[in-house]
Amino acid sequence: MIQPFTPEPIRYVAEDGTPVQPLPARFTPELLRELHGLMLQAREFDRKLITLLRQGRTTFYAQSSGMEATQVGLARSIRVGHDWVWPYYRDHTLGLAMGVPMFELISQCLGTNSDTCRGRQMPHHFAAQAQNFVSISSSIASQVPPAAGNAMAQKYLGVDEITVCTFGDGATSEGDWHAGLNMAGAAQAPALFVCENNQWAISTSIREQTASETIHIKAKAYGMPGYYVDGNDIVAVMEVMTAVAEGVRAGQGPALVECLTYRVGSHSNADADAEKHYRTREEVEEWLGRDPISRVEKLLEKLGHPVSAEERAEIIARTHREVDEQVLRAEATGQPDWRIIFEDVYADVPDHLRQQEAFLRAEQSGGPA
Amino acid sequence: MTATQDRQEQGAVGRTRTINLIQAVTEAIAEEMERDNRVVLFGEDVGARGGVFMATAGLQERFGKHRVFDTPLSEASIVGAAVGMAVRGLRPIAEIQFADYMGPGFDQIISQAAKIRYRSAGQFTAPMVIRTPSGGGVKGGHHHSQSPESYYTHTPGLKVVMPSTPYDAKGLLKAALRGEDPVIYFEPKRLYRAAKGEVPDHDYVVKLGEAAIRREGDDLSLIGYGGVMPDLEKAADALAAEGVSVEVIDLRSLVPWDRDRVLTSVQKTGRAVLVSEAPRISNFMGEVAYVIQEQAFDSLTAPVGQVAGFDTPYPYVQDKVYLPGPNRIVAACVQALNY
Repeated sequence: MIQPFTPEPIRYVAEDGTPVQPLPARFTPELLRELHGLMLQAREFDRKLITLLRQGRTTFYAQSSGMEATQVGLARSIRVGHDWVWPYYRDHTLGLAMGVPMFELISQCLGTNSDTCRGRQMPHHFAAQAQNFVSISSSIASQVPPAAGNAMAQKYLGVDEITVCTFGDGATSEGDWHAGLNMAGAAQAPALFVCENNQWAISTSIREQTASETIHIKAKAYGMPGYYVDGNDIVAVMEVMTAVAEGVRAGQGPALVECLTYRVGSHSNADADAEKHYRTREEVEEWLGRDPISRVEKLLEKLGHPVSAEERAEIIARTHREVDEQVLRAEATGQPDWRIIFEDVYADVPDHLRQQEAFLRAEQSGGPA
Repeated sequence: MTATQDRQEQGAVGRTRTINLIQAVTEAIAEEMERDNRVVLFGEDVGARGGVFMATAGLQERFGKHRVFDTPLSEASIVGAAVGMAVRGLRPIAEIQFADYMGPGFDQIISQAAKIRYRSAGQFTAPMVIRTPSGGGVKGGHHHSQSPESYYTHTPGLKVVMPSTPYDAKGLLKAALRGEDPVIYFEPKRLYRAAKGEVPDHDYVVKLGEAAIRREGDDLSLIGYGGVMPDLEKAADALAAEGVSVEVIDLRSLVPWDRDRVLTSVQKTGRAVLVSEAPRISNFMGEVAYVIQEQAFDSLTAPVGQVAGFDTPYPYVQDKVYLPGPNRIVAACVQALNY
């Protein structure tokens, strides 16, 4: 039985890889290696995408380095393709771990013809129908009330799905966040709210964001349990998240889980020199010491199943190779043409848009505009 | 009246410097904070970070955290708090990180900021400025590229401004801060560093509600504001090369807007083409077109032309195609000229 409202984050594994409570039986070396591989892949994906950004092949990227345990742990705690997810814009690791093809993620970042979203949104704003991974919006917390509604529909329909809604710490200040949690609480809808508390909303620290000691205690006001988890401990994230998700699924009403983690990179390419402006190198170094990937490596070592340097290098090389391949494959599909401007605005194209489309067609073909 | 004459009229003589539009914004804020200690600045990331575009860089260091501060990520709170501060006697500048994010603050803008003077019969007022980067052309997709000015021009009680030059950016922002009404101050983000120009060393303001004539001409009045202005200039150059004399007008402020200068121009040229990158339906330029046909119908030798964005969400990949560029503007002018 996982306890809500703990004063300290729930954890199973300390920074040095020592278990601080007995590991649940399912965390076999095989599973831990698999999770390690997923997290390492996600980190290398970040690294490669930053390279693409520097090469000018994409124009925006928001790293999730440092937050892999939270996102991979969440992905492995829900029923992918069955449950619904309303993500926020730093969730590509969640997407990867849920099985969204790397090709789709890269295509969206490059805005190519192979982008399932047709180049409509800025890079890093995916949607993946097969995984019920609903379109990412840049507007902070605007996904929270719709997620509450998604969960209310699931309750109405009597399905055993749940709705997962993720957000950063900054989102918890928005009116939409409070409105969404309140609605889900009042409706006793099967919603799992997950705060990926990485402690910085661009340059605003959590201490400037709220006078509340933690985020999870806000759940009290909305009549739902709030759980506090070490978001860099993948065992803790999966244990808590799985239990809470299944409780939500069983009709116990919505819940909020706060994963305390840290984004070690900048917010995006827009503030690449974060340490110069708003946070200290010491703080970043301190959190690097709590790194989720090296924590699992240390744990595996203590369990007598270390990840060898060769295995590690192989995962990195494979990820780099795969990203390179998928980038070339995506780029080969070209760029969506001007027609994408008019499609999907309405279910049926109204006359005024047809006229504007005809105007643009003539202009683009060099005819009379 | 030309832009040069405008400056002379406002006493802008003496030494000048060349700066870009974002520097003009920073200077205007700094000078007004220096001049009036009621001016405070806040929003997301405006403090140590200096704003996502660095418009407020160095201001927290210079004026302290009590006057320049970061807020929780909540546009409703930012705008609502600004209203309360203004009512209590401060002169708040609220930065909304992108105009696309004003949605959560919309109720506070239209219900509180815009209405408090009217509903209290002037007992309480909210003189404040909401600054926000707006418009496309920076590969931002629809959440970083929209032109929502018409939502606000439709709301009585608000003033709405959008400069296109450093001179105007500085002078209009100062005027907005010295005024008695809430002002939505849109900053065309694609001109932040692209628009460079001279500003005088001494203090000056650009009065809200006066358009600038960027160049004089006899055959057609080409009217725009904000991010499209460089395209109007390019279109006028192209037409000049064909022997067409175009008068280029920058509205600079939309509420109030300069009917007189627009009408005088159209009465002289007989033709008007209106340019804005916002979607066409309910575009503010529809109001300008209406006034032209109402007040200058007899002078018109062609229907009023309009070049606007499409009635679609702003696209990411094809954003250059979406924006009205010089070619589309020239085509609309040619259509009016050949009517």
